[in-house]
Amino acid sequence: MPHARLLLDFAEACSAVSADLSDRREAVRSTLGEAALVDAAATIAIFQAVVKIADATGIPLEDAKAEISAEFRADLGLDAFVAE
Amino acid sequence: MAEIREDLSAAHARAWLRLAAPGAWLTGAEKTAIAAEARAALNCPACAQRKAALSPEQPIPAHIGPSDLDAAWVDVIHRIRTDADRLTPAWFARVVPSVLSVERYVETVGVIAEVTAVDSFMTAMGMPLWPLPEPLTGALTGIRPKAAKLAGAWVPTVAPEDVSADDPEPVQAMYRNRSAANIHRALSLLPEAVNGFFDLDDAMYLPDALLRKFEEEPRAITHAQIELLAARVSALNRCLY
Repeated sequence: MPHARLLLDFAEACSAVSADLSDRREAVRSTLGEAALVDAAATIAIFQAVVKIADATGIPLEDAKAEISAEFRADLGLDAFVAE
Repeated sequence: MAEIREDLSAAHARAWLRLAAPGAWLTGAEKTAIAAEARAALNCPACAQRKAALSPEQPIPAHIGPSDLDAAWVDVIHRIRTDADRLTPAWFARVVPSVLSVERYVETVGVIAEVTAVDSFMTAMGMPLWPLPEPLTGALTGIRPKAAKLAGAWVPTVAPEDVSADDPEPVQAMYRNRSAANIHRALSLLPEAVNGFFDLDDAMYLPDALLRKFEEEPRAITHAQIELLAARVSALNRCLY
């Protein structure tokens, strides 16, 4: 995928995994342009909120999604995120 | 100053109007107080201590926050804002209904979510946060869908097939142009919260109708890049959903 690492670095900086948010933001802006920076920031920000809704209401994964994602959830260790 | 899409700025402005206004079960003053606490949680030493602890049940000092909300309610807000991935059904059972009724809890979650979305965007862009609005006074709407029931989530939800023609407009609007995905149902005990949050979501992510319309790229990044970011943020937040 084009610019995947650039975008992931920005998402991780936004989530306070790394402290160089300003540098990562400028890297997205200079490489992809201002409109792409806005859309990347908006996506990251709305998902910071979506996860809070999901976690605080205890919604389950839909059966169909659970079925098709079973293999990669196991591979990536995502099942450890289930609230018990 | 960065150039923000007009529809995105307009959606943020509508979110701030909703925040100030009386809701279904919370006053405008309570909603803006929740927003202030959600912001304060990011710099709260007690929240930092809990986040670093092996167990979120470890005792922590009092939260540092700006509102006069009840301390137990403040703890709910701070915990959802800073440590949501470690919420459990047992924690929820301690909070609802002894700290908050389920209706007020769901509305609290909706307020935290909208403030988190708007604030996170401004932070990501390196722009100052919007000042919180002055609360408006007025009557609470008190809309609670009669078809709400427990169906897998911790909170009662409404299935799209249970919405009927005689339900009030906010109830009917919940699933208009939206799938029956559980994230759409999560706040459905509070129809205004669903309609408000997904008004924001349509502008910040993608409207439901465009989610799988891969032949159209309505944003400056592609569907694939959008989903990569969404998945990474969800994983960083340790959110299974």
